[in-house]
Amino acid sequence: MRLKLALEVLGLLALAALIAVMPQLVSSFTAYEMATVGMYFIALLGLSILTGYSGQISLGHGAFMAIGGYTTAVLSVNGVYGHHIRDLWTIPIAGVVAGVAGLLVGIPALRLSGLYLALITFGIAVSFRQIPLKFDHFLGGTSGKVLSLLKTPFGLSATPNNWIYYLTWGIAFVLLVAAWLFVRGKPGRTLKAIRDSEIAAASSGISLARYKTLAFAMSAFYAGVAGSLYAIARGFMNPDVFPIVLSVYLVAALALGGVDSFLGLIVGASAIYVLVNRTADVTQWINHLPAVNLNPQRPGMPDVIFGAVLIVVLIILPTGVGGALRRLFGPLTSRLYSKS
Amino acid sequence: MLAAAVPVTAAGARPLATPGVTSTEIKIGSSVPLSGEAAIAGNVARGIDAYFKYVNAKGGVFGRKLKFVYLDDGYDPGRAVNNTIRLVQQEQVFAMFSSLGTSNNLAVRKLLNDAKVPQLYVSSGATTFGRDYKKYPWTIGYIPPYSEEGAVYGQYVVKNIKKPKIAVLYQDDDYGRDLYAGLRRGLGKKAGAIVSKVAYDPTSADVQPQVTQLKASKANVFMIFAFGKFSLQAFNAVSRLGWKPQIFVNDVSSASALMSIVPQNAANGSISIVFGKDPAAPGWRRDKGIRLFQSILRQYGADIGSRDLQDGYYTAGMATAYTLVDTLKKAGKNLTRDGVMRVATHLTEKNNPFVLPGIVIHTTSTSRFPLTQVKLQRWSAKSWHPFGKLLSIKP
Repeated sequence: MRLKLALEVLGLLALAALIAVMPQLVSSFTAYEMATVGMYFIALLGLSILTGYSGQISLGHGAFMAIGGYTTAVLSVNGVYGHHIRDLWTIPIAGVVAGVAGLLVGIPALRLSGLYLALITFGIAVSFRQIPLKFDHFLGGTSGKVLSLLKTPFGLSATPNNWIYYLTWGIAFVLLVAAWLFVRGKPGRTLKAIRDSEIAAASSGISLARYKTLAFAMSAFYAGVAGSLYAIARGFMNPDVFPIVLSVYLVAALALGGVDSFLGLIVGASAIYVLVNRTADVTQWINHLPAVNLNPQRPGMPDVIFGAVLIVVLIILPTGVGGALRRLFGPLTSRLYSKS
Repeated sequence: MLAAAVPVTAAGARPLATPGVTSTEIKIGSSVPLSGEAAIAGNVARGIDAYFKYVNAKGGVFGRKLKFVYLDDGYDPGRAVNNTIRLVQQEQVFAMFSSLGTSNNLAVRKLLNDAKVPQLYVSSGATTFGRDYKKYPWTIGYIPPYSEEGAVYGQYVVKNIKKPKIAVLYQDDDYGRDLYAGLRRGLGKKAGAIVSKVAYDPTSADVQPQVTQLKASKANVFMIFAFGKFSLQAFNAVSRLGWKPQIFVNDVSSASALMSIVPQNAANGSISIVFGKDPAAPGWRRDKGIRLFQSILRQYGADIGSRDLQDGYYTAGMATAYTLVDTLKKAGKNLTRDGVMRVATHLTEKNNPFVLPGIVIHTTSTSRFPLTQVKLQRWSAKSWHPFGKLLSIKP
């Protein structure tokens, strides 16, 4: 077991090194794109704790991201008693506000499970957008709130794009380590026990209420942080920044990456990015295939492609990319373990 | 000797190449709705694209071909932000041009001005784009300001309608609010004639409930300050409810393509303003500008059907594209972002073939509303009929 731990730590260090050097290798705009991938990755980490470990499905995580985004927008644009808060400091606040919202949702979630919980959370995602429209003087309505521009603070020499990249992936790394420490110890085992059988877990003396709401609050905290970063990077927030369909994309990306594989989630996060932002390009890539001639301007085309990819991946790799990686490296590492 | 030395110093003094400009190409970006509620207006961008291709076929601007990159934002400001960041940073466009929508342009105005990227001739008549140039010197509008358009309708009502009782449907953003505020100003002392007003959110599904509510106020005048599908729905609702008010419909929703598909019992007699030549109006059928428009669209447009040849959104795109090409030509061979803004704010263009004869597109450094002359027009027998004199509506 010690070897497994060493390998995992080594993997994390390798990831940290890769994150650190990446902006040197790519263009400034690509760094900005990768920062966005990092934001989806953070949201997926939280969702993975909730769904992958505690087994609760949420179709409402886009709403928690929006709560984070609006917290940042309100604190940095309206301020508190006219006191504008620098966007950087709004990130933890956004996480906490979303986390509290998650806790509140987590309480009724105790009585529901499976499909019913998914429906309730989807209801939250659908209805959340009405809040900024209702309070449009405060939250900007459809026209939204324009935040201050993305700037590198503290006289650092990085370009704004590299700054948001390092900020996002720095936070992502810390939250990844936190999630890893959380799930590899007793809480992780407890959540898995709940996932596999609530009755068995409860009869072993596990407090279902405490752990299920904790998982909800944690995952909402992650989503809030991700939403806050997204609003900072865009300098703009309105109800459509995190559309209803994003909540569905997040769950699909989770399946794509592998529900309980943290590193596989980077693939899932990239998939969301491509789907949201690079849809026309995807159609053009697919057009390079023989006998394919699709019109990238046609609405809905990217969704069809995403759906098709998702179906194919889940047929070939039922445990997602993360599961496939584990299967690939599993024989190798288990041999190493047995020798140690 | 001296003459030979000048270009050398000029070239030497230029520290950095202008983004988006090479010796063979000028790259122009835009974010427009090609899907969603306002998809019908996406033809503005397609019209621009066709006109640029026509200019390119004739040798371009100082030998540089115009490359137009336009991305779909579904009329959503959030996606417009994504598109704009991508066009500026990745595509490295020289300028953003004719992006559509008030909120969409407001959402990116700060970032474009900070990056000193021209935000040229935005497809929105919100007054702020022409008025707030001190804060946003890299931004300029194009179409007549909505506030002045609203005032024109107000003045018309005061002069021509006895005992008016006005109902207003408007979009709940700067676009709708500008029109509404202008209407009140145009009505002057008679602003009390507005008996009911209802705003709708641009992401609503249907405005029929709002129209029903407005009809209940027993108004005899109905102002439709709504865009795209909402305008269609408003006409449909008027017809379905059997309401017979004098309708005023705002310019950006008055394209013949749109008016001819709504119930004609509601549409007939509607009043709007006009500044561009309408390819669907019988009066322009033999006009040189409209013939040019149709031949360009046939030759350079993509998937052009007979309906497209009568679609005013394409003409509107070409009118703006004509002004941009004019601007780029006047900015000279040594094209810079500074230079293009200087020309765009010192413009006198008398011969745009796609706008009404007599209209002069004119700007100065303190008056940044290029189009400030309009005519009134009335809808009947499935087409618009301009009437009255050219009105000057300078804010």
